[in-house]
Amino acid sequence: MKLPLSWLRSLVDVDLPVAELADVMSLHGLEVEEVATPGAGTAGVRTARVLDWSAHPDADKLRVVEVTGDGGDGSIELVCGASNFDVGDVVAHAVPGASIPGMTMEKRKIRGVVSHGMLASARELQLGDDHDGILRLPRDTPLGAELTELLPLGEPVIEIAVQPDRGDHLSVLGVARDLAAILDTRWNAPEIPTAPTASTIPVDLRTDGCVRFATWSVDDVTVQPSPPWLAQRLAQCGVRSIDVVVDITNYVMLELGQPLHAFDLDRLRGPSLVVRGSQGGERLTTLDDQVRELVDGDLVIDDAERPVSLAGVMGGLDTEVTPATTRVLLEAAVWDPARIRRTSRRLGLESEASKRFERRVDPQGADRAVARAADLLARLSGGTATGSDVVAGGSTPAWAAPTPVTVDTARVGRLLSLDLDTAAQAALLVRSGCEVESVAHGHLEVTAPSWRGDLTRPADIAEEVARLHGYDAIPATLPAITQVGGLTPQQRLEREARSIALAGGFSESVSRPFVGGGAMVGVAPSNGRVVLSNPLAKDASAMRPSLLEGLLQAIRRNVGQGRPGVALVEFGRLFRPVDDPVGDVLDATIDGVWRWRSPDGAPLPVQPRAIGLAAQGLRVGPGWLDQDDRWTLDHVLGVLDEVVDRLAPPGDAAWRLQRVAVEREGLHPGRTAALHLFGHEVGLVGQLHPSEADDRDLPEPVVVGELLLEPLLLAVPEGGHPPIGSISLVRHPAMNIDVALLADDQLPYASLEAAVRRGAGELLDEVWCFDEYRSEQLGEGRRSVAIRLRLQDPERQLTDDDAEAVINAIAEQADAIGATLRR
Amino acid sequence: MTDAPEDAVARIVELKAEALAAIAAADDTPALNDVRVRFTGKRSVLADLQKGMRDLTPDERKERGQALNSFRAAFDAAYQAREEQLAGAALAARLEAERLDLTLPPRHRPRGRPNLLTQVEHEMLEVFIGMGYRVAEGPEAEAGLFNFDLLNIESDHPARQEMDTIYVAGFDDVVLRTHTSPVQARVMAVQDPPIAVVCPGRTYRADAVDATHSPVFSQVEGLVIGEDITMGDLRGTLLAFSRALFGADRQIRLRPSHFPFTEPSAEVDVSFDGPGGNHGWLEILGAGMVDPNVLSMSGIEPERYAGFAFGIGIERVAMLRYGVTDIREFFEADARFLAHF
Repeated sequence: MKLPLSWLRSLVDVDLPVAELADVMSLHGLEVEEVATPGAGTAGVRTARVLDWSAHPDADKLRVVEVTGDGGDGSIELVCGASNFDVGDVVAHAVPGASIPGMTMEKRKIRGVVSHGMLASARELQLGDDHDGILRLPRDTPLGAELTELLPLGEPVIEIAVQPDRGDHLSVLGVARDLAAILDTRWNAPEIPTAPTASTIPVDLRTDGCVRFATWSVDDVTVQPSPPWLAQRLAQCGVRSIDVVVDITNYVMLELGQPLHAFDLDRLRGPSLVVRGSQGGERLTTLDDQVRELVDGDLVIDDAERPVSLAGVMGGLDTEVTPATTRVLLEAAVWDPARIRRTSRRLGLESEASKRFERRVDPQGADRAVARAADLLARLSGGTATGSDVVAGGSTPAWAAPTPVTVDTARVGRLLSLDLDTAAQAALLVRSGCEVESVAHGHLEVTAPSWRGDLTRPADIAEEVARLHGYDAIPATLPAITQVGGLTPQQRLEREARSIALAGGFSESVSRPFVGGGAMVGVAPSNGRVVLSNPLAKDASAMRPSLLEGLLQAIRRNVGQGRPGVALVEFGRLFRPVDDPVGDVLDATIDGVWRWRSPDGAPLPVQPRAIGLAAQGLRVGPGWLDQDDRWTLDHVLGVLDEVVDRLAPPGDAAWRLQRVAVEREGLHPGRTAALHLFGHEVGLVGQLHPSEADDRDLPEPVVVGELLLEPLLLAVPEGGHPPIGSISLVRHPAMNIDVALLADDQLPYASLEAAVRRGAGELLDEVWCFDEYRSEQLGEGRRSVAIRLRLQDPERQLTDDDAEAVINAIAEQADAIGATLRR
Repeated sequence: MTDAPEDAVARIVELKAEALAAIAAADDTPALNDVRVRFTGKRSVLADLQKGMRDLTPDERKERGQALNSFRAAFDAAYQAREEQLAGAALAARLEAERLDLTLPPRHRPRGRPNLLTQVEHEMLEVFIGMGYRVAEGPEAEAGLFNFDLLNIESDHPARQEMDTIYVAGFDDVVLRTHTSPVQARVMAVQDPPIAVVCPGRTYRADAVDATHSPVFSQVEGLVIGEDITMGDLRGTLLAFSRALFGADRQIRLRPSHFPFTEPSAEVDVSFDGPGGNHGWLEILGAGMVDPNVLSMSGIEPERYAGFAFGIGIERVAMLRYGVTDIREFFEADARFLAHF
C-alpha cells in the first residue's frame, strides 16, 4: 500500500519528519518497506501553452514547437518527440537550466534546430508509467507557473507491507486511523454528503455472502480525463489514470478501503440487480476481456437477464462505463472474505478489490464510500446524484459482527511482561476505537470497531495493547527452564558419523534434494519417486530417491572447475513412496516405529536419514610428484564400516555389515557390493560404470557409497547404548600365525573370517586379512586369502603346540564351509 | 717357518708399526675389520709367533711375551680409538644424509570440512542447549495438517498461499514443509509442558533460485511452553542468542508483525555497526507468543500455559556472520567454498 504523505496528513494530525514517521510506523505494526520521493529533483519546469508546431524539417518523428515563455509571454522554440498535443494545450516546459529527475536541461541543437529545453512526460517526472507522450495539463492552468507548485513532485510516498489480518491498512484512512491510535492523536474522515431522497434501481439480495449492498445513481455524467490532482494521487499510489469515473472508484477505494464498481446504468437490463450465489455453469466476460466460467459458490451480480459482475473480484465487460456513458450506477458491497478468496484463488485473479474483500472490508464502510464516490463524480464530471439505496443482509455473520472479548488485564500484563494496569490498558484500547467496559475487577469487555476484524480473542487484545504501548518497553528476561538441555544420544551419534566421514577426508555437501528423470538410485533401488505437484523445474520434478545423484552432480561441478580430486559426503533424507522396498528394509531392520504419519494416521512418504559418499581423482593435490594417492572404494568402505562400528550397539557382532557382490545399473559390474544388515540391504558401494562416468563427463574412477542411518539411529535407546565393558590387557606375549584359505569367489570373505574365528576360539585376540592371491594353479574363480591371527592367553605363554591346535581347528572349520586351508 | 728368537722380537716391533699404520689407514669399519683379521686373526704372522712360544727358553719366552703384550696393548688401543672414530663419522654422515628440508610443505592428508550451514546450525544449537533446550526433528515431506492446520493456518488463510508451498503429488495433503514449525506441533502432540525445544532442519518454498532466494533453506525453530512464560522471556532469549552469535554489544528490537501461529507476533532486528559509523538494524527472525489456538489444538490448555516460539533462518545467519552474499553458494559444494570455512 502506497501512502502519499499529503494524503495521509489530510486524514490524521501528524507533523513528524517523514523518516521519524516511518520509524514510528515500523515499530508499531505498519511495516514501512520504502519511502520514495517520485519527482524529487524537479526544478525550473514551467507551464506553457503550445502556440504553434510544425514537422521537423530533417526528422520524421520530431516536431518543432513554439510555446509561451516566461510568465506566459513571448515565445520559445524547442524540439519535441511526442505527438499527443496540439495548439492550445498546456504542457510542462523544462527550460534550459531546469532539471527533472536525473537530468539537467541545456540549450542544444537537434538535427539542425536549436531546442530551448524540452517538454516533459509524466514518466520523466516520475508521475507514473505513462509514456505515450508528454504531460498535458488542463487548458485553464496558469501559464509560467512552477510545476512543483501545481503537482506533488518530490513528495514522500510511504509504502507499507500489509499483514494478512489487517485489511484495514489497505486504505489511507485505515492507516491514518491506526497512526492516530499509535500517536494518540486525532483522525478526520472525509466529508460525506447526504443521500438523495430518491432510490436507485431495484436490488434483490439473495445470498448470505453479501451483508450490505449500497448503490448511488449519477446522471448527466461526462466521461472525461481526471483533473491533475486526482490523476497524480493515483499515480503516486501506482494506479494508472483511465477516466474520471474509473479514477474516482479507485481513488475512493484507496482512500477508504472500500472497493467500488461503476456500471453504465443504461446498459443494465431492467434496470434491476440480483445479488446471488452462482450454481455453476454460467459464463461472464470480465473487464479484462476474459471469459470466466463460474462454479457453485461464486458470488455474482445479475441484471434483469444475465450476470454482469463477478462480485468482489471483477466487473463485467458488457456493462462497463465507456466514453459514451452518461448515467452511472455506483455500487459498494461488503462480501464474505472466504468466498471471495475462493473465487479469486480458483481463477488466479487477484484484483485490488478482491485483495481487500478477502482481507475483510469494514462492514459499515460501504454506504459512506459510495456516497463519497457519487459526490466526487458529481463534482468532477458535471453530473447529478439522483438516487441512493442500501440493501442489507438478513443476519450478520460472525466475520462481520463485532464480538465483545473479555480480558483479564492482569493476565495480559503478565503475558507481555508490561506493568500496565486495567485503566492503562483500557486507555490504549480506546485509542484503537474499541469500546471498553469494566465488567469485573481487573476484567475488561472490549468491543472492536467495525473496521478491526482481527480483534476477536484475548490474545489479539494483548497484542493490541503491546503494539500501541510499544514493543520496546518489553523487558528482557529469561525463562526458568527446568530441564537439562542437550542432544539426545541418537543426535550425538549422528554427529559422530559426520566426524568420521570428515576425518576420512570427505567434505560435507548440502544439495537441493530435487531430481529429474534418470537420477542415480543407490540403496535398495526402485523406480518409485516422491513426485512434486508443482515443481520449480523439469529437472527438479521429484524428491531424491538417493543421495548419490546430488553428490555426483557436485563432483561434476568440481571437475568442471578443474579440481584434481574431490571427496564429498552428504547427510540427509532420501525420499521414496509409501510402499517402496526401502520401507521393507526399514521394517526388517528396525524394532519399533520409524514411519512418519499424518495426525490422521495416514503414512507419509518414506524418508529415512542416510549418509552418502562420492569421490573422484587425487586424494591430495595437486601435490608432490612422488604422491599418487587416489580415492578408491577402500576409502568409502572405511568410512561406512567405522560409522557402523561407532553407531551400532557396542560389541554386538550381529550389527556388522555384510558385503555381497551385486550388479547395479550405472555401476561397475565387478566392483559393486550391497551392504547387508540382518540379511537386508541397508547400503551400497561401488565404482561408477565406465559408460556412466563417460555420460556424466567424469574422469574415472569415481567411487560412491550410501548407507541408511535410520536402522542404526533408531536402535539407540533413549539413554544411549549401555557403556561397553572394559577389557583385560593380557601381559603374556602374543603369538602371530598366518593361514591361507582357498575358496571359490562365491564364498564371501566374511564366511572365511568367521571360520577362522571359530577355529581360533578363545585364544584369538585380533584377526586381519593381508593378502589375496590368484593363479592358474588355483583355478578360475578361486582365490587364496591370507589371514593373520594374533593369539594370546591371559594365563600362560603360548607354545607351538597351541599354534598347531589352532591351525588344525581352522582347517576343520574351513572344510565345513567348503574352503581349504593351504598348508 | 721359524724365525730366530731375536729376529722374532724385532719382527713383532716391526709388525706393531705396520699394524698401527694400517689401522690409521683404514677408512671405514669393514677395512678396519680387515686389518684386525690380517694382524691378529688365526692365520696371521702374530698367531704364528704366539704359537712358537712353547719352543722357547724361559728367557726368550719372557722377552717375546713382553713384545707380544706390547703389540696387543698398542693394537687394541689404536683399534678401539679408530673404531670409535669411524663409527662417529658414519653416524655423522648418516645424519647429514638424512637431512630434511622441513621448510617445504608436507605431503598432506586429505582434509574433510563440515558444511558452513552445519557449522552455523551447531553454533546456534549450542546457544540454546546452553540455555536448557533439547533438540527435536521431523520429516521434510510433511502432512499439511502439521505444517498448516495445527499451526492455525486454515486451508484458505492468505498466509497459506503466501508461503509458496510445494505439494507432493499422489497424496491428499502432503507438502514439503514450509518451515520447521510442524516439528513443534509434533512435539506438543506427544509431550506435556514444560517444553523447551529447538527444531533444526531443511525447509522448502516454491521460490526461483537467485542470489537471495532458494527453494531449499534451513531453519532453527524454538518453542518454550510453561506456566509463566512471558514476552519478556522471548525478548531475553533472543537477545542472548543475538549476542552469542553476533557479538556481546548487540541490541535487538521487536517490531509488531503477524504470523498465524503466534499472537502477539514480532519481527526481530539485530543492531549492526557498519563501515563509516553506519548504524542500523538487520531483520534476522520472526517470533511471538504461541497462539492460544495452536496450544488448544495440541491439547495444551491455553488458560494454564503460555509459550513463545521463534524461527531463525540458518542461511541468513550464515550470510550475515560470514559475509556470504549469494545463497546459492551453500548448495553448490564447490570444494573451494567447503575448504574455506
